[in-house]
Amino acid sequence: MTDFSEELIRPTTEDEQGKPCVRSGSGMYFPWLQKHIESIASGGKQEKDFAQTTSACLSFIQEALLKHQWQRAAEYMHSYLQVLEDTDSNKRQGAPEIVWRLGSEILYYHPKSNMETFNTFADRMKNIGITNYLKISLQHALYLLHHGLLEDANRILTQAETWRYGEKSSSQEVLVNLIQAYKGLLQYYSWSKKKMELSKLDKDDYAYNTASQNMLNRSWKTSINLCTLIQIPGVWDPFVKSYVEMLEFYGDRDGAREVLNNYAYDEKFPSNPNAHVYLYDFLKREKAPREKLISVLKILYQIVPSHKLMLEFHRLLRKSDKEEHHKLGLEVLFGILDFSGCTKNITAWKYLAKYLKQTLMGSHLAWVQEEWSSRKSWWPSFHFSCFWAKRNWKDDKTLACEKALVAGLLLGKETRLQQWMAGQWRNSV
Amino acid sequence: MDFPSSLPPSLFVTGPLGQSDVPDLSFMCSWRDALTLPESSPQGSQDSAPHVAKALLWKPDTPGPLPLLPPGPDPWDPGLTAKDLLFRGGYQFRRHPRAVLDVTEQISRFLWNHGDIAFAPLGRLLLENFKLEGAHSRSKTKTVVSVKRLIQDLDGHQPWGCPWAYLSQRQRRFSILGAPILSTSVASILGELLHEELALRWERLLLDDAFTGGALAWVPGRTPGAGQLVYPMGSAMDTLCFQKVSLTPESEPQVLRNPGHIQLRGPVRQVVSRSVQGEALLAVRSEHHCALWKVSVQGQPAPLQVLQVDKGATGISLSPHLPGELVICSRSGAVCLWSAEDGLRQIYKDPETLVFRDPSPWRWADFTAHPRVLTVGDRTGVKMVDTQGPPGCGLLLFRGGAEASCQKGERVLLTQHLGDLGPESLHPMLHLVCTQFSLYLVDERLPLVPLLKWNHGLRSAPLLARLLPPPRPGLPQPLLLAGQGGELQLLHLAGVGASTPRLAGLPQSLPTRSDSLSAFPLLEPKSHWRLQERLKAPSIGLTAAILPPGSTPVLSLFQLSAAGDVFYQRLYLQADPGRNARAPAASWTPQATACCSRWLEALLEVPLVPPVWAAPTFSHRRLLGSFEPQKVEGPVPEGFRRAMAQGRLLQRRDLGLLPPEERPPTPEPGPEDELSERLEAAWEFGAAAWWERRRGSRAGPGKQPKRQKRRTQLSSTFSLSGHVDLSDATSPQPSPDRTLPEARPQPPRTPPSQELTQEPWAQGVPSERQQTLRDYMAELPLCTDTPGRTSAVSSQTPSIQATPSRQHTPRDGTVQQLPRGDTPEGATQLSSQTPSVRATPSRQHTPRDGMVQQLPRGDTPEGATLPSSQTPSVLATRSGSQRLRKKPRMGF
Repeated sequence: MTDFSEELIRPTTEDEQGKPCVRSGSGMYFPWLQKHIESIASGGKQEKDFAQTTSACLSFIQEALLKHQWQRAAEYMHSYLQVLEDTDSNKRQGAPEIVWRLGSEILYYHPKSNMETFNTFADRMKNIGITNYLKISLQHALYLLHHGLLEDANRILTQAETWRYGEKSSSQEVLVNLIQAYKGLLQYYSWSKKKMELSKLDKDDYAYNTASQNMLNRSWKTSINLCTLIQIPGVWDPFVKSYVEMLEFYGDRDGAREVLNNYAYDEKFPSNPNAHVYLYDFLKREKAPREKLISVLKILYQIVPSHKLMLEFHRLLRKSDKEEHHKLGLEVLFGILDFSGCTKNITAWKYLAKYLKQTLMGSHLAWVQEEWSSRKSWWPSFHFSCFWAKRNWKDDKTLACEKALVAGLLLGKETRLQQWMAGQWRNSV
Repeated sequence: MDFPSSLPPSLFVTGPLGQSDVPDLSFMCSWRDALTLPESSPQGSQDSAPHVAKALLWKPDTPGPLPLLPPGPDPWDPGLTAKDLLFRGGYQFRRHPRAVLDVTEQISRFLWNHGDIAFAPLGRLLLENFKLEGAHSRSKTKTVVSVKRLIQDLDGHQPWGCPWAYLSQRQRRFSILGAPILSTSVASILGELLHEELALRWERLLLDDAFTGGALAWVPGRTPGAGQLVYPMGSAMDTLCFQKVSLTPESEPQVLRNPGHIQLRGPVRQVVSRSVQGEALLAVRSEHHCALWKVSVQGQPAPLQVLQVDKGATGISLSPHLPGELVICSRSGAVCLWSAEDGLRQIYKDPETLVFRDPSPWRWADFTAHPRVLTVGDRTGVKMVDTQGPPGCGLLLFRGGAEASCQKGERVLLTQHLGDLGPESLHPMLHLVCTQFSLYLVDERLPLVPLLKWNHGLRSAPLLARLLPPPRPGLPQPLLLAGQGGELQLLHLAGVGASTPRLAGLPQSLPTRSDSLSAFPLLEPKSHWRLQERLKAPSIGLTAAILPPGSTPVLSLFQLSAAGDVFYQRLYLQADPGRNARAPAASWTPQATACCSRWLEALLEVPLVPPVWAAPTFSHRRLLGSFEPQKVEGPVPEGFRRAMAQGRLLQRRDLGLLPPEERPPTPEPGPEDELSERLEAAWEFGAAAWWERRRGSRAGPGKQPKRQKRRTQLSSTFSLSGHVDLSDATSPQPSPDRTLPEARPQPPRTPPSQELTQEPWAQGVPSERQQTLRDYMAELPLCTDTPGRTSAVSSQTPSIQATPSRQHTPRDGTVQQLPRGDTPEGATQLSSQTPSVRATPSRQHTPRDGMVQQLPRGDTPEGATLPSSQTPSVLATRSGSQRLRKKPRMGF
């Protein structure tokens, strides 16, 4: 038996499978344990011929796939389908998923495969082994969506949406929600298409009225579809974005705000920077007061100090009347430039040079010292080294000048060594 | 910096590993990542990009990798296999065969082969109740058993295990009296130790994390095609080799002559190189030391720092931001940051694992996009730690649990920061996390939610990974992933700037070293098997270089195997192999096969590994004799001295004391054999000839080797004499069959009299075992009271030189300054009170602490000679570690 199929039937046999690892005392599971056990001539139940051939076939398919030999993989796949009639019930249950996974993979890449083949395969696989109906439907729809067949994708999703089997398990429910959300997304696409057309129409036109009526209906359906999923913890960026856009269009600002607040601040959700970005964008469109915007960006700053919105945050803080905001403004600039991906951000350096001067003239030396104390041990070699001086000078002279200015401001007041370094810097520049 | 404006949908579930009722949204296929959700305008062109990526393929130029360098002169032994450790009988009723450690067989083998070790301490406990030959009974009040008589009764008449063997009254009494002590104590104490050892070996066989990260590094040189490969060599892996290589797009890599060498004091486990701000740096991790070199533009290494890690280092990483900054992890759970300015700083310490309880002491650390934030990982998860914040705080970046839909029993094996590799590369905030099942990409700005998951399906632990720069602007970046077993996978990672990272096309498997077998000429089975073993040796290093953009990008891939072989493979990028055209399979070129033949010739000249264990050369007669104090000064040492003075071979007759060679009774071939032989001969009308032959063979010397061989197999009480059949000794069976390990004769390198000058038990016992045995024997109270040379334990005996503890605590005064015990116990006690990683700011001229005194010699690679003052200690450690390398089979 291969590791692959082991993995799939593990929920039922995991006690037996888990035990061989007890020796290691860690509960770690080794996919290659089986190989070791097989290497010794062990007694015990021998695998049947059928199991041996199917597992060999499976490994051939995987090998062919990893070597991008689609043709060969398809040939083996043809033989592998017999696994669906395995007498071992464990394996038979796991088989459709493997067949679907490998089969769709082959059909996606195979040079001779086309949309019809894929559709037929997906339709067949959905109905073999009931447990995978929803998953396969969803992937099938995504495949169609990817190829631009929105109508077909919508049809598949609609079929899947109403499908029920046995007791409604939580996993089934989440999948149904996901399917509905994708359906909602499809409706959103056609809605936004309509909106585009509508914007071209004259408002007094008769067609305008019917079109807008249509849009209202769609929007109502879509909101039903989308709103259940985005209550569940997860990353739902495309869904939230489109849902909010539609709510905004119909003037439901409170609803949109609630959705975004929930998405950004619910503790059950992962800390997704985009949630805060969406909220900030929404508030900006709403022309919310500066205080409000700052409070949203403050949280984003704590999560991602390197975000490109931070420069905007700095501008907001600079304009603010509060002194603590001015201080935070300095902190934000230093924070951006801490990151290796931002070292060449010319705007940030410009802002920093300007703001440093401003701060020092405003006799807030303590602020600068506070920020600098934790950075003085590494900023000189991180930003102001000879290597960077030469490189920046070669690539971007403005950047080099801004950096030199900042280096002069920061290092000039400190120890002799740093003065020397600043001197070096100036010389080299 | 850009953050993807819209992340792919994913469910977020918290909980432990392997929660079953959660729908795994990563159930989707590899092409899921190729699918893009249309942005708000559905008519946008979604089709173009994925289709280009779909056809991406790196095509190898030969069906398998080729050896780059001739094999090293030292023999290599594949070590233990599952066969050596597991119980081979199966349970009939199990659905799946189980791995059961074979302690019973091992202990019986041990008692049988090393009875001296197992029973000697007890024997000494009971000594006063026995009367040895010639000794006067010490106490009249105690029952005294005469050993001489007992042995006489036993002598040669007791076939092992025969229930009908004759038992004298004396023996019976002895066994009744002795059984409770002999059986319980030995079995319980030794059995426990043995079980522990076996479990450890088995664990290491399943997962050997020593080489995590890889011990092969590419240090780029002045021109893009030139560079150096840095890797350990030698049987002990303690010589760091700097091999200059020049790469051209058209031809094979050119190896320059005279590689540089640096001799280190311990086996090298990890080699990391990085270029920071134009400076090439090289960091090396061995078991208890970490070292840092700066490599000049000409390729000369200059040592910067050596750090000692008492508890053992598990990982080392170089900073991509600040030159010379590095982070070290220790088995104690401490993570230390070293920089030229601040020296060594412990930034994190937690002996417990991050997410849930896991006994593994493995720790790993790497840098992030923020130079002052590090990732700290263990088997259960990865955490981001701010070195400037309060100690111990930080966010979990990756959690082994339902968040990443991990399976039950899934553990982190490797984490890596996929840092800056140029402007066109992936985001510097991405981290790679590998488990035994899957590969995850995590963005440090969105912790806990993997952006990409790929079920790699490797059949061994993925401990090596390398991300390469994009071969051409706009193309996905290749990520190489290698399993310990030698499997290689190449993943195409796309997603620059504001798009999410995804797989561009199905990952690709690359040829393994075993695939090169077809390039070698046909061999006789024994050599073929040897070659096969060599090619199957675990991978311990991986590195690659992409040549500057020419017409077709060429990827040169280098692998280092545990046998010390460096193999290379060149891969060409086929950006559009054509949808219908099936690319012709690569085939062997005449140059490739010639290269393989040359390599094979050199390999077959390498001597085979000497057997790690041979039957102890010990006879009870002699042991009894040696108890006589007056006889110690007898002719043995004198003969020995005389032989040494004359510089000739020591022969049996020089050691007059030795009893005449003792031959256990050889079972004569049964009459049936003779009869059938004779009948066969008669059938062919050759009865007379047979008779003649038989008479001749009885009288002649032709019979001799056969007898000798049989004798070696039969008895463990034979004395190894000077005239062991040499043909037997030099070509022992390399076969994995260990049913008769005692049949392997010891190579005649050691004089046979050695057993008299050294403790008998220490001989032939692998050095690792010796420590275990010493621990065991240290528990027995009598061990130090016995007269010096008799046997067993005394930590002052010279035999301790072979123990692994010696290896890292060289006695050399210039090296060792720490107050440490001689035994590992002493060392651990000490280190638990002190910070487990020590460093001294060693500028070459101010060695404040002797221990740091330039462990790496700062010699240029060309001038690889060592200063004479240093040589002896280096050599001593070298030989020690060489012994360690000989992985003993559990043949006792």
